[in-house]
Amino acid sequence: MKTKIIRKQDMTGLLNNLIQEYEVFAPVKRDDLVIFDRIGSDKDVSLEYTNSIKPPKEILFPQSETLFTCGSIGDAASIEVPVSEERPRLLFGIRPCDARSFLLLDKVFNEENHRDVYYLSRRNDMMVIAIGCIKPRATCFCTSVGGGPFSSQGSDLLLVDIGDDYIIQVITDKGSRLVEKVGVADAGENKLALMKMVIQEAELSMSPQIKTDGLKEKLDSAFDDPIWGSLTEKCLSCGICTYLCPSCYCFDIIDEVTDSKGERIRIWDSCQFPLFTLQASGSNPRPTNKERHRQRVMHKFSYCVDNYGQVSCVGCGRCVIECPVNLDIRQVLTTISNR
Amino acid sequence: MKRETNDWEPKIVAFLCNWCSYAGADLAGVSRIQYPTNIRIIRVPCSGRINPFFILSSLQHGADGVLVCGCHPGDCHYLTGNYNARRKFALLQSLLEYAGVEKGRVQFSWVSAAEGGRFAELVAGVTESIQALGPAEKLVKR
Amino acid sequence: MSELSGQIREAVRKLLRQKEVDLVIGFEAGTLPLHSTPCFIREQQEAERLIWNSFCDNNLAKYLGKRQEKIAIIAKSCDARAIVELIKEKQISREQVVIVGVPCHGMIDRRRAEAELEGKEILEAEENDGELTLKGNGFTKVLKRSDYLCYGCEVCFHRNPVIYDILIGDGVAEKATDQYSDIAEFEAKSTEERWRYISDQVSKCIRCYACRNACPLCYCRECFVDNTHPQWTGKTTDISDTMIFHLMRAFHLAGRCVGCGACERACPMKVDIRKLNRKLVSDVKVLFDYEAGISLDRTAPLATFKPDDPEGFMLNP
Ligand code: SF4
Ligand code: SF4
Ligand code: SF4
Ligand code: FES
Repeated sequence: MKTKIIRKQDMTGLLNNLIQEYEVFAPVKRDDLVIFDRIGSDKDVSLEYTNSIKPPKEILFPQSETLFTCGSIGDAASIEVPVSEERPRLLFGIRPCDARSFLLLDKVFNEENHRDVYYLSRRNDMMVIAIGCIKPRATCFCTSVGGGPFSSQGSDLLLVDIGDDYIIQVITDKGSRLVEKVGVADAGENKLALMKMVIQEAELSMSPQIKTDGLKEKLDSAFDDPIWGSLTEKCLSCGICTYLCPSCYCFDIIDEVTDSKGERIRIWDSCQFPLFTLQASGSNPRPTNKERHRQRVMHKFSYCVDNYGQVSCVGCGRCVIECPVNLDIRQVLTTISNR
Repeated sequence: MKRETNDWEPKIVAFLCNWCSYAGADLAGVSRIQYPTNIRIIRVPCSGRINPFFILSSLQHGADGVLVCGCHPGDCHYLTGNYNARRKFALLQSLLEYAGVEKGRVQFSWVSAAEGGRFAELVAGVTESIQALGPAEKLVKR
Repeated sequence: MSELSGQIREAVRKLLRQKEVDLVIGFEAGTLPLHSTPCFIREQQEAERLIWNSFCDNNLAKYLGKRQEKIAIIAKSCDARAIVELIKEKQISREQVVIVGVPCHGMIDRRRAEAELEGKEILEAEENDGELTLKGNGFTKVLKRSDYLCYGCEVCFHRNPVIYDILIGDGVAEKATDQYSDIAEFEAKSTEERWRYISDQVSKCIRCYACRNACPLCYCRECFVDNTHPQWTGKTTDISDTMIFHLMRAFHLAGRCVGCGACERACPMKVDIRKLNRKLVSDVKVLFDYEAGISLDRTAPLATFKPDDPEGFMLNP
């Protein structure tokens, strides 16, 4: 792996350079929330953050997007598919867990038999510059699900904050081409030693929070366990855990029709909403919290293992922190593991 | 939906209760009293039938103003429909203004079946005030 | 606080032992600092789990509806106020609940406390004697508890449950507050400023519906946002759709909202939901002299009328 180095104050120049060429998205402060947004200058960026409230998935998979509009011209029907003429996107300063989440989204939206053109129009050519976590939160459990505070999966470049400088780990060819183009120095031995220390310290500060060994089998056999009922009794069936989850991808398709114009729109949906599974007959196969919440957990930790060979949780901890009734997925998994 | 302001004419949705206000509008018509053509009348059984959504949906889908009329207190065909509605209307109007929707976008009045002339005057007044406010932008969808 | 926990456990054990109730809804310790979490207890020995502290901020009345069992609920005053409304709206009968009332000193707004720490992570929180001690890596910070209350608690002047079967601990002093000064202040702004503020807040909303789902009075079997026939509100992120959701949710709670603030605390995006709800709470008070959750006997303001209700807002009435 190539490693480069850049002084923190030089980041400004680099970023402004990148803004010339890419649509750059970065963590920005809005009121007292950190979200990912398009930036116009390096001044908008706020890298002093633990993680954003909303995951960056909306940059690839917006909460609401028009798939096509239709209408009529005289007797003929007209259909218009929106085309984006945007420059390629660059995500700057996202966390390694979120970078990993893109690989999970790819499995869904860029699956062999189903290529999602809307998703891919943003995903292709997208550059990901992640920043490693020197201070993981107590709610982070990336290391329990195959990631880590300095995991490079999903990133083209990974920054490591070593005080006055950032070490730039060059992960992909795409990333390599970028660093070559902007021209940054190679990292020296002592700086690399420093980097190793920083990484090690962060990794040591994290302890395993869930046991994934044999978890899938446990979940499969505990499907009918009445414990699901008591574990989820307090669930409010809101959409926080799914909407804030970087790897939850469910959507609904709606049509909006006014006078002579129609619009087909894709919007986020959540398996936690009763409407998600409500059938036209009025019957609902997942009528209560229990079935709905179990679905979320099973999907991430069992079905995705079946379908994609890996769990679809990156351990960011958003659902843990933001759940209004403190229904903690780590606790749910531990309880099931111990059955 | 941006509209040219030059020769712009407001579109006003008027919800009229069937028993008094609609009859009042009818009387204005058969008496050949002139009033502005900006209103699009929607007849409802009673002012008590007005769901606040009707009003918000109108504003969302391009109305520049909304006028709601029912029978005078004591005259409601269903006895108390308008009394109940009056409470809702008071709150809704206050909430909309509070949230920053211009005062006057949504107006309420009582019109009896005999008040053809008053109805015409009312419509003229409402049209004028909404004209002065200009096109509604705030709740319009895209 | 720990005495209160003890008394609650005691009362609950007795209720379960004497088979007066089948289910107890209360709080237990959460998995995160500054969090307690709702818990459901059916056996006497589980009563040990119950706790009471300044982090019991969910409104437990949310969990009462659509149950058959006889239920005891640990209710601070805003939970009790919600129960009053639920009884009046026939969502639960008075006989089905045993209300274990807890006079309340106000709950901690964890975001306010967190804001004090400039991004440092709180790993442990303790409270005693009006103090809140926050600990994390390399810091300990002691805060004055009463400076970090939820806004709804700050302006609450019914801190003692208005309805209960068993009362835990001693009553607390009610404080005189100027309840609606925030509303008056907002009203003093220009129309455009108000619109800008509200739309700015609403534009943060991600339509997760946690506000609705946390609200004890939002119990409709089918909420208007879920209704597709007719589709009252659009589901896109267009600000007009989201605005109509918020205006209508506030309106549906007119005369019913008990000001518990559960909606606002649930919101991950920190949308200032209270701005709309409290306006209606105050209007209902001014126009119809009604306060939600206070009396079982008074009819809900939108289910009744007076012939001489104010109509100055109408065109030449
Ligand atoms: S399930 Fe929770 S912890 Fe896992 S990726 Fe989603 S939001 Fe993060
Ligand atoms: S609207 Fe909010 S403050 Fe009012 S009762 Fe519901 S949750 Fe409580
Ligand atoms: S909880 Fe907040 S983000 Fe979720 S729907 Fe309510 S206002 Fe919107
Ligand atoms: S019938 Fe006219 S208001 Fe009720």
